[in-house]
Amino acid sequence: MARFLIKRLLSATLTLFAVSVLAFLMFFALPRDPVTGMCPKNCNPERLERVREELGLRDPKIEQYAAYMKGIFVGRDLGSAQGGRCDAPCLGYSYVNSEAVTDTLARVLPVTLSIVIPAAILWLLLGVGLGMVSALKRGTWVDRLAIGFSLTGASLQLYFTGAVLLIVFVYQLKVLPNPHYTSILDDPLDWAKGLVLAWVALAFLFSAIYARLARAQMLETLSEDFVRTARAKGLASKAVYGRHALRAAITPLVTIAGLDVGAALGGTVITETTFGIQGLGRTAVYAVRGGDLPMIMATVLIAAVFVVLANVVVDLLYAVIDPRVRLR
Amino acid sequence: MRNRVAAAFALVLVAGACSETTDDGPSVDQQRTATGVIATDPKDSLGPAPEVLGATKGGTFTVIREVKISHLDPQRVYSFAGLVNAPLYARTLTTWKDDGKGNLTLVGDLAQTPGTNVSNDCKVWEFKVKDGVKFEDGRPITAKEIAYGIARSFDPDLTGGPTYVQEWLADSADYDTKWDFKANKGALPPGLTTPDDKTIRFEFAKAHCDLPFALSLPASAPLPPDKDTGVNLDNQPFSSGPYKITKHTPGVEIVLERNEHWDPATDPVRHQYPDKFVWTFGPDPNAGANRVIADSGPDQSALAFNGVPSALVSQVTGNAALKERSIISPTPTEWRLSINTQRVTDLATRQALNYAIDRDGFIKSIGGETVAAPVTTLMPPATIGYQKYDAYPAGANGNPDKAKELLAGKTPALVLGVGDDVVERGTQLKSNLEKAGFKITLKTIPADAKLDETKKKDNPWDLYLDSWAADWPSGASILPVLFDGRSIKAEGNSNTSYVNDDAINSEFDRVLAMPPADQAPEWAKLDERIMRELAPAVPVYVEVAYYLHGSKAGGVFVSSVFGYPSFVNAFVKQ
Repeated sequence: MARFLIKRLLSATLTLFAVSVLAFLMFFALPRDPVTGMCPKNCNPERLERVREELGLRDPKIEQYAAYMKGIFVGRDLGSAQGGRCDAPCLGYSYVNSEAVTDTLARVLPVTLSIVIPAAILWLLLGVGLGMVSALKRGTWVDRLAIGFSLTGASLQLYFTGAVLLIVFVYQLKVLPNPHYTSILDDPLDWAKGLVLAWVALAFLFSAIYARLARAQMLETLSEDFVRTARAKGLASKAVYGRHALRAAITPLVTIAGLDVGAALGGTVITETTFGIQGLGRTAVYAVRGGDLPMIMATVLIAAVFVVLANVVVDLLYAVIDPRVRLR
Repeated sequence: MRNRVAAAFALVLVAGACSETTDDGPSVDQQRTATGVIATDPKDSLGPAPEVLGATKGGTFTVIREVKISHLDPQRVYSFAGLVNAPLYARTLTTWKDDGKGNLTLVGDLAQTPGTNVSNDCKVWEFKVKDGVKFEDGRPITAKEIAYGIARSFDPDLTGGPTYVQEWLADSADYDTKWDFKANKGALPPGLTTPDDKTIRFEFAKAHCDLPFALSLPASAPLPPDKDTGVNLDNQPFSSGPYKITKHTPGVEIVLERNEHWDPATDPVRHQYPDKFVWTFGPDPNAGANRVIADSGPDQSALAFNGVPSALVSQVTGNAALKERSIISPTPTEWRLSINTQRVTDLATRQALNYAIDRDGFIKSIGGETVAAPVTTLMPPATIGYQKYDAYPAGANGNPDKAKELLAGKTPALVLGVGDDVVERGTQLKSNLEKAGFKITLKTIPADAKLDETKKKDNPWDLYLDSWAADWPSGASILPVLFDGRSIKAEGNSNTSYVNDDAINSEFDRVLAMPPADQAPEWAKLDERIMRELAPAVPVYVEVAYYLHGSKAGGVFVSSVFGYPSFVNAFVKQ
């Protein structure tokens, strides 16, 4: 177990290193000059050049990368144009938000977590539940209804369902407040009220996919020998389905769920835009639009961290769910 | 002075609406023109500002906007949202008294008058600071803090703000190399002095009659040196106005609450009606407008700052209750079809283009009268001293016959450059102009490069659409900037018609040397003369601002200076 974890974490570190190098190179490949956003319209080339000089954008790229990495682990001095001393983990200074990148992240990360985690619980319960029921009641009206639901969910885009939910529950019925984020620590009820539409919209979209996957997996598992054996030795259906079939059927779903949740944590751009909530996704979009390179770097890195971590978690879960898997 | 990129984006958002102009559609006050002066009577600069009809105290006024305001630090504010927000917490040396109908008066804000032109040559200016003006901590505002504010605008770290005053003081575009703010903290830039606590004095190498106007921008706001947090001031500015920022979450919310040290008796324009102003960022333009339409809870006293998007125009104009809650007004942002006179050298051709233009058709194609209003002058109607004229009268839809007559059988082949995000505008112009005998070739330019490319002197196009919004509504910040040929450089030109006429250039010099208050009628005359003698462009339209507010929001009007909502009179109906 410990050996497995160390191995996984090492390879995760390697992945993150590769991502950081790529993101850093992308930073320079972008068709945008990071300093143009910092000048008024009638800014002259000489002043732009001085700004570039001061920001260290004229230094060799390797040096810039080393300085950036040093900032993450021990902090660095960014100069007065970027707020001065920046303590570890320093991810640079955001020109768009006029604050340290870590300050922005500290604010928007809880938002995205608050959107994604409850939504993921909702879509997994709903999706897997529907898929199972539909597999067990194969061919009946329950099955057809579930399939219809999942088809609808998979074919409607979030910006559509989101807008409909907003119009019905916020603008017309006025039963919910405008979508917003309050910390769960400050006011759990308001936290839920402000985000529930985002959860529902996301869950509707994803649960559809999971329902279909779960149904197919379950059907396949039900036709396997070990299920027949279980049945033949006289186990109750509950035990056959619950303990044997479900565990086998759910393994591939966990892989996909891990990737989905990881990716969603990296930024639910469309959800955040539809509901006008400022999380990691929108922050990334504005950073790209505004040419705010330190912020772009940070959002790319954070997204990578989530995906990599999600994969480690998935591997661990495998062992729990599937007794055939041993962690080595 | 800058091309208003933000405004262009806003317009792109609302453009493309199918235009449906019916009799009961919205009515735009086409006649809104600026009559303005610089106050000569010190009484005009005294407070308190006259009470707003029906205004009551209390409540929270909410402004809904999609993205955050780019800067709050007064020395860095230069975006429209920033410019209309800043007066709530930053006072300036001068400011505009604006009745929202075009009557503008430049008055003293922190200064007792809008400035004394000491030797009448616009090279030495003096401002006397009012008594009783205070910061949010109760400290008095003196000439020292105002001068410090101007000094810190020399700091190259503090990007984003206007650069007029710095350039004039340093007599150089590279003002930050002429005077190093960080190396000289505690000192003042060359030409700026404070003979005593009540006096601030500007001495320039050259005449700058526009100084009183330039000082109306937030960059002349005061700051005590011990409150200067450098770049961090941007998230927590120090207030001198009727409100102070009590909470700021970048990209999410700004909460402004009453500043009890602000004395209405010193302020000629601002009020302090709502308990709070709240900017809330996030909702896209549709969601913002939908919230205000729904009119529930705090949104009843809200304004949707991103305007009425095209998808909602027919819903809003068709609903009497919503119509009552909408504000529609032309803005000072003017779009013209620039003619590259280096390539189109024949005056008759340029005049024929002016006869041929179908303004009505063009405006319909971009969304109709809630988006644009036609103009025939180079200065927008919101300019002080504006005189309406039409040098080439051809009716709302143009006169192709008259154009053909001028062309005398020629069929000039012209290249029209158009941003690839608004190709349909090019198509509209092409079909319009070809009716008058022109042969138009449409060339698309990547939208984000269009501005830079047309500003290059040797650009390969004959015609392109250009916009201009001046930082103050004086001809001085429009005509010489756009049509003085002596300032043409290899790139970065604002004179995108590339005209260079000696007679007109010397007229610019003559008018610019006049006392600012006497310049206005001269600019109007010059506007018409440029159109008649040079026809360097085809004036097409000014942008129209179209806003919606909740049923309890009152006192909002569209600023005659910036064309965006002004909050100095805003209140919440109780």
